[in-house]
Amino acid sequence: MKTPPSSGAPSSVLDPYLGLLNGPQTMGRGVPFWVGFIAIVTVLALCPEFLRRYDIINFSNFLISGFLALSLSLIWGYCGILSLGQAAFFGIGGYAYGIVALNLLNSHGNTDVAMIAGIIVPMIFAVFIGGIMFYARLRGVYIAILMLVVSLLIGLFMRQTADPSYTMGAAYLGGMNGLRPASADDPLLPSLILGLGKSVVELDGRDASFYYFVLGLLTVTYLGLRCLVNSSYGYILVGCREDPERTETFGYDVRLIQLSVFCLAAGIAGLSGVLYTAWGTYIHPDGFGVGPNILVVIWVAVGGRKDLGTALLGALVLEWVSLRLVSEGEIALLALGSILVVVMLIAPRGLAVTLGEYFNTAETYVMTRFGSRANKVTGSDGK
Amino acid sequence: METFAEIFGIAYQLFDNIGFLVLSASGLIIIFGMMGVINMAHGELMMIGAYITAFSYHAGIPAPIAIIFAGIGAGLVGMVLERLVIRHFYKQLLSSLVVTWGLSLMISQTFLIVFGPSILNVPTPFGSFPVGDQTFGIYRMVLFAVAVMMVASVWAIFAFTKFGTRARATMENPDMANALGVNTGNIYALTFGLGCALGGVAGGMFALTATISPFFGINYTPLAFITVVVGGGGNAITGLISSVLSLAGIQTAVNNVVNVYVGYVAMFGAALVILLALPRGISDYLEQRKIRVRKASSRENSS
Repeated sequence: MKTPPSSGAPSSVLDPYLGLLNGPQTMGRGVPFWVGFIAIVTVLALCPEFLRRYDIINFSNFLISGFLALSLSLIWGYCGILSLGQAAFFGIGGYAYGIVALNLLNSHGNTDVAMIAGIIVPMIFAVFIGGIMFYARLRGVYIAILMLVVSLLIGLFMRQTADPSYTMGAAYLGGMNGLRPASADDPLLPSLILGLGKSVVELDGRDASFYYFVLGLLTVTYLGLRCLVNSSYGYILVGCREDPERTETFGYDVRLIQLSVFCLAAGIAGLSGVLYTAWGTYIHPDGFGVGPNILVVIWVAVGGRKDLGTALLGALVLEWVSLRLVSEGEIALLALGSILVVVMLIAPRGLAVTLGEYFNTAETYVMTRFGSRANKVTGSDGK
Repeated sequence: METFAEIFGIAYQLFDNIGFLVLSASGLIIIFGMMGVINMAHGELMMIGAYITAFSYHAGIPAPIAIIFAGIGAGLVGMVLERLVIRHFYKQLLSSLVVTWGLSLMISQTFLIVFGPSILNVPTPFGSFPVGDQTFGIYRMVLFAVAVMMVASVWAIFAFTKFGTRARATMENPDMANALGVNTGNIYALTFGLGCALGGVAGGMFALTATISPFFGINYTPLAFITVVVGGGGNAITGLISSVLSLAGIQTAVNNVVNVYVGYVAMFGAALVILLALPRGISDYLEQRKIRVRKASSRENSS
């Protein structure tokens, strides 16, 4: 029988049933985790029933941030590529969605193409910029800073597009005011309108339908990425993170793998940007600034970068916390910065990871102490 | 006369850009170039320097002394940060990057909450002189002179003082230096503090020309970092000079031909191209070539 490669993580009774969803590259493989996971998804799905509409609008935004956290966790946590400019892809995706949607809405009546463009355009950009950086074998630190510079430069460019000559068909870039229609005849920046021909569904960002759509998409993305990182591709990613030279000796092209995962992450970040633009029917150059970029890093670093779930949890919880703090005055960003520094000092691998490990230790302790059956299961592993 | 004024204008811009880059990068060549620590909060330490300068100036202290205060203040803050946070992240480049970015957010937000979005500016001293039909500020040339002086004094400190020798020994081999009786912890803190103090002085100098706000720093951190990285670690001083000359040269040229934004982008583009060609920076390449030439000549001599 094939035994999974040892990585310190205990195997779980659920492993045979869940396939790639359960593997050593993701934390949380036992029954308690999956019960908790289903419970959280259920509670989130029931939120529109008992929360105010205002809260649901905010919750939709939190979930949108989740995609961005997943994308950074994928490249930083799994492949060791830190990008301080992940929000660049978010912004590019948002702008691409908006520009295509404004141009095609009148003739198509839906935003399918715009949504796809919002994912593809950031990926193309990532191939271009990532290709240069990875094939030149730039050091990781330089890549991190260069991505920040790229993001700031795009933001700087977008800021000075207030001149009316910056129009792309029906879309006017609009400088600091954000993307808007070029003339009064052109449609306004639309919400997501999915479907073909006459059978279309409009998902208004202020409605519960949009919330359900984003929640579903986020769950699918999370589970899909879980499968990906537990597949052989995921092992190669971790190999590139741990020891690029050795991975190369085994015959893998590290540059190509880094580039491919960078593009995938750019696509996910682009999707986040698409959803954000559709949610608020608004996209503006501040999305490329320091603030959004550092927020992504804070969510992922505080949650725990080396696991998709902890990074996602970090984003959702911290977004909720900062919304709470915003009502207290201007201390939200100060608090988030302090949280980041403190967590880096006391739990460098992330708060959720450290807490999860305490939980695992406690669980093992309880199992060995009180559950003789559990002993037999682990005992019969054939060690 | 017309063409002379034009040429003078471009030369003036070039010196202005050089002075700007050298001042922004002067603290970081010590912190990143020597210590190998990435400090994303460097711009915020410059911001602290700018605030101290502005407050001291408005309290009636002459500008040069206010700028010295700025250096002392930023240096002290830097030493505190080093002892509390940064010393835990030596040899972990990416983590130090993230944690110092967090520090920069904390500092700028604290200043935003305490002092508000902007404070009273400091007037630019010395006035200006006319060439042709344009006028040029004298202070910009003072910035350039101070930048050159700062680099020279950094070099002198590390080349001739006892502290410099100990610092270089510590950066070269901390365990060995420690065994020989050097308190490496203090040396790290002092070196970091010196880098921050230079940043504070630079911030104080810029305070006399720029709008001072809590987000003053972010304009400088990426620029300073890229200048140092392009310079490389082979020899901090030749690295700084070569990288500043090439970056400021390209920025000035493109700036005059196209516009300011494209000039700015061209500078980062040039930095990227240099890094692609010479991944370890210009000065490393020069050092390597020197060694190769020396080897080749000694081989010729022996044969």
